[in-house]
Amino acid sequence: MTAARIGWALLAAIAAFGILGPLLAGDPLRQDLSATLQGPGAVHPLGTDQFGRDMLARLTHATRLSLGFAAVAAVAAAVPGIALGLIAAWRGGIVERALVSLADAVMALPGLLLVVLFAAFAPGEFLPLYLGLSLALWVEYFRLTRGVAASLLARPAVEAARLFGFGPWHVLRHHLLPELAPMLVTLLAFSAAAAVTAISALAFVGIGLRPPTPEWGSMMTELLPYHAEAPLQVLLPGLLLALTVLGLQLVAGARR
Amino acid sequence: MVGRIGMLYYRLMQRRPLLAFALAAPALARGANAQPARVLRVVAPWEIGGLDPARSGYVFQRMQIAETLVGTDERGALVPSLARGWRLLDDRVTWRIALRAGATFHDGTPVTAAAVAESLRRARGGPGPLAQVPIEGIAAEAGEVVLRTARPFLSLPAFLAHSSTVILAPAAYDAGGAVRAIIGTGPYRLTDLLAPQRLDAERFAGWWGVAPAIERVSYLAVTRGETRAAMAEAGQAEIVTTLAPETVARLRRNARLSVEVVPIPRTRAVKLNASLPMFADVRTRRAFSLAIDRAGIATALLRSPESAATQLFPPGLGDWYDADLPPLRRDLAEARRLLDEAGWRPGPDGIRAKDGKTFRATLRTFSDRPELPGVATAMQAQLREAGIDLQVAVMNSGEIPAGHRDGTLEAALFARNFSLVPDPIGTLLQDFGPQGGDWGAMGWSDPALVAAMERLTAEPDPATQTQLRRRIAAILQAELPVIPVAWYDYPVAFSRRVAGGSVDPLELSYRIAGMRWAD
Amino acid sequence: MGGLTRALAARAVQALLVALVVGIACFAMVRLLPGDMAFRIAAGRYGIDLVSGAAADAVRVELGLDRPWWQQLGAWLGGLIRFDLGVSLVSGDPVVDELKTYLGHTILLAVVALGISVLVGPPLGAWLGARAGSAADRAGLVASAVLRALPAFVVGIGLILVFAVGLGWLPAAGVGGWQEVVLPAVTLALGLAAVSSRVARDAVAAALHAEPAEFARRKGLPEGAVRRRHVWRNAAVPVVAYLGVQLVALIEGVVIVETLFAWPGIGHALVHAVVARDVPMVQGTALVMGLLFVALNALVDLLTLLIDPRRRSAA
Repeated sequence: MTAARIGWALLAAIAAFGILGPLLAGDPLRQDLSATLQGPGAVHPLGTDQFGRDMLARLTHATRLSLGFAAVAAVAAAVPGIALGLIAAWRGGIVERALVSLADAVMALPGLLLVVLFAAFAPGEFLPLYLGLSLALWVEYFRLTRGVAASLLARPAVEAARLFGFGPWHVLRHHLLPELAPMLVTLLAFSAAAAVTAISALAFVGIGLRPPTPEWGSMMTELLPYHAEAPLQVLLPGLLLALTVLGLQLVAGARR
Repeated sequence: MVGRIGMLYYRLMQRRPLLAFALAAPALARGANAQPARVLRVVAPWEIGGLDPARSGYVFQRMQIAETLVGTDERGALVPSLARGWRLLDDRVTWRIALRAGATFHDGTPVTAAAVAESLRRARGGPGPLAQVPIEGIAAEAGEVVLRTARPFLSLPAFLAHSSTVILAPAAYDAGGAVRAIIGTGPYRLTDLLAPQRLDAERFAGWWGVAPAIERVSYLAVTRGETRAAMAEAGQAEIVTTLAPETVARLRRNARLSVEVVPIPRTRAVKLNASLPMFADVRTRRAFSLAIDRAGIATALLRSPESAATQLFPPGLGDWYDADLPPLRRDLAEARRLLDEAGWRPGPDGIRAKDGKTFRATLRTFSDRPELPGVATAMQAQLREAGIDLQVAVMNSGEIPAGHRDGTLEAALFARNFSLVPDPIGTLLQDFGPQGGDWGAMGWSDPALVAAMERLTAEPDPATQTQLRRRIAAILQAELPVIPVAWYDYPVAFSRRVAGGSVDPLELSYRIAGMRWAD
Repeated sequence: MGGLTRALAARAVQALLVALVVGIACFAMVRLLPGDMAFRIAAGRYGIDLVSGAAADAVRVELGLDRPWWQQLGAWLGGLIRFDLGVSLVSGDPVVDELKTYLGHTILLAVVALGISVLVGPPLGAWLGARAGSAADRAGLVASAVLRALPAFVVGIGLILVFAVGLGWLPAAGVGGWQEVVLPAVTLALGLAAVSSRVARDAVAAALHAEPAEFARRKGLPEGAVRRRHVWRNAAVPVVAYLGVQLVALIEGVVIVETLFAWPGIGHALVHAVVARDVPMVQGTALVMGLLFVALNALVDLLTLLIDPRRRSAA
């Protein structure tokens, strides 16, 4: 699958930039008000922003932040989603019905709404962003896991395992996870893309992270008024954001 | 909702048919902006919060729909508006205000002294600045409005220019005293209000002044500075106010616009909680001030080098500004020396500490004024060089007075308007009284300053007034309970389709009534 | 029509759940926001310059904000049953009245955006699907992937820079005439069309070679008739079903796009209400957004049943 390979290559390149870049680039917070909005040059390879801060340093740090955020948010949604999906399929009955109703109620709410409310709850903090995204995204994992688990539990091998007294953990590790793995990659990439987009969108409506944290969305909105003077500086964070989402979508889409 | 969609449909029909757009989009390039009905469109960041004058009277006042008794001229001096004139009786506490002969409200009823007195009484009961005035009684006598104060209060007329005191007709209020309609007296009459975004108004034939040339006007609230700039560039508004500083140079190059930048009596300043150990010592406050690179902020972020504040009051404020006062400046070495002297020693990470407590404060600011978070971010880096760790928290503006009252506020950056009432004493009384003020001193007061302000409210002699004002300015400069950062330039873009536009430095009016179409 | 009733009943239950979850969750979250609520309200009401301790105290007394939280929540849920959503803490107007205005704008924007995306996406996708594998198809794939990767605000900013600032054809913001609807609607529609065109492309490409179409061809039916009878109708089912999935993007996009274009709709109102801590407005806007989402989904259910008669009996 070429699309998936392009996606992985993109992600690998961006990850390398985000992981290695901060080690090589300078201080992303160091200002120089006498050298603002400069074009690319020897001292600042990608120019400077409106505070005279080095764009390269800020972009690498922002990349590290967004990728780390996306990874944690995706896992924070996957773990409860898979666990609850398994529990629903394992226990059945009232527990299952209650969990399905809860999932339906969450599905009936647009995810960004939840994240907006959580983000407003403690502006500038990471925890509410994770909570909001986790709450919005766990449903996908829940539905997938429950579906797969239900058909798995009906299989003779698993039924036998249950009869022998093996618990849900055993079933999860030996039967469910291998079955889930390929689809899980799709879902993880999907939720990581949602997380990356969500924090930049929140920065855009003014409920994002605190300055001077380097973050793609807030870099774009802060630099936007200077688009006539410094088009490159506005473009770069947007480009990185779009490439990351594109990479994640290619990885996710190819598996569908 | 049916009515709303019906209205949109109606507006749609009034303009070009969709087909014409599909067929001739390029030809529409300028056509889409042409106004068949010629509406002068004003775009500003401030949303219309409702009908209550205390809440959004400034929109109706600036759009010249509602009027106050007193107005201001080009130099900020008080002039009659809906009042024909006023005089202070010899007892020095009774004010008699005469009204314009023949003035009528937009519903056709005459402007009587009784109606005006009633409107003022309602303003007095609200949260506006009129509550600061020791008023004892408001009455209508022999066709004039009579106001009595408990003690001599010479700046009373200035308070009657504030937007919360616009005069509305008796029919504008419901039984409970709430405003149900804007029935004002201005040259324009409200025709449609789509709160919080938009209002439309048309010329009012019964206005007491010279009939304005422009027939129809509209106001649109657009909160994002970048979008406002785009609307000005695209010719989608005739007047665009409060431009973000970084967009001004771009708009100036646009041949279809004329951009006016007027210094106004507003100052961006930092308030410090002087009851905290780190800010109780005047030396640390001075060090804080000496660490700020005002010239850098004014040049790089505000794009207006001359707006770097050298003292609290900007030069436009008459003799409140004292050219002889030693200017505030940046001197990092001196800042470090003062901090050392006050016992704050740099730690291993460069952040200073004293008695085991680090020099760390959270600065609250807000983004309603788009440049403030940027200014805070710049100061954060500058203060770090002096060893002060400033955390920036961008939040709702209401958190500043809230933090002042519950004592949790450490530092705050905001922009304070000294002509809230045209006479700055109105603002100073609120900010630097014995208890400090929500937007002024915190944990700091000075008996000499309070005494000077008290004397000024009752002092008739201009020379003594100047002396008192200089003394107030000098005390504030020496003690720095509030640290001035930058003065304010008010940038407004006018479309060249209109002529006769000008900027009111006190932000009381958009002055549409004096404008005309240029073509 | 058992399938229809069941689908609608499920949506009705969902609507109830939305109301309950939004009612309780919004209340709890907004209550727990840091800072003094009365001050936020006073700042919104009277402007930054006029906020003072006295004004905040007046607000606190007027709105009963010092009552215990369970009394306030109880009052709100009780009001919800009577469809009384309370009074906006900022404007003092009934929330229901404000929502009517905002909802009208949001529906107008959503309908225009959906309309544009339906007119552009599926026909383009069908056209590409009929030429699967061609250069045009591959270009379409790249364009769709790029558009999907761009967040709505980046697309919107790009459109403003080109069509409002650069060319001056359309307003950058505002409300009132048809010109103001175009840019925000196109911003939303582009994202939707990027997906629906791919779904239509895949569905058409599949249906073209599916058994019924192949059989009809072998029967000697002209290609035009084959497509009319067997390809378009079969391809329409996944396209319409996918509309339901896209509604999330539409509703979420509304929040961002309305803020960017100063469009006075529900999303814009929600962001404002959250910042101002206007509890009844937050609840009202969140509730309406959730219900709008459910209603649109119900509409998609209906549409799917209409297009695909098999499901009517099977379901």
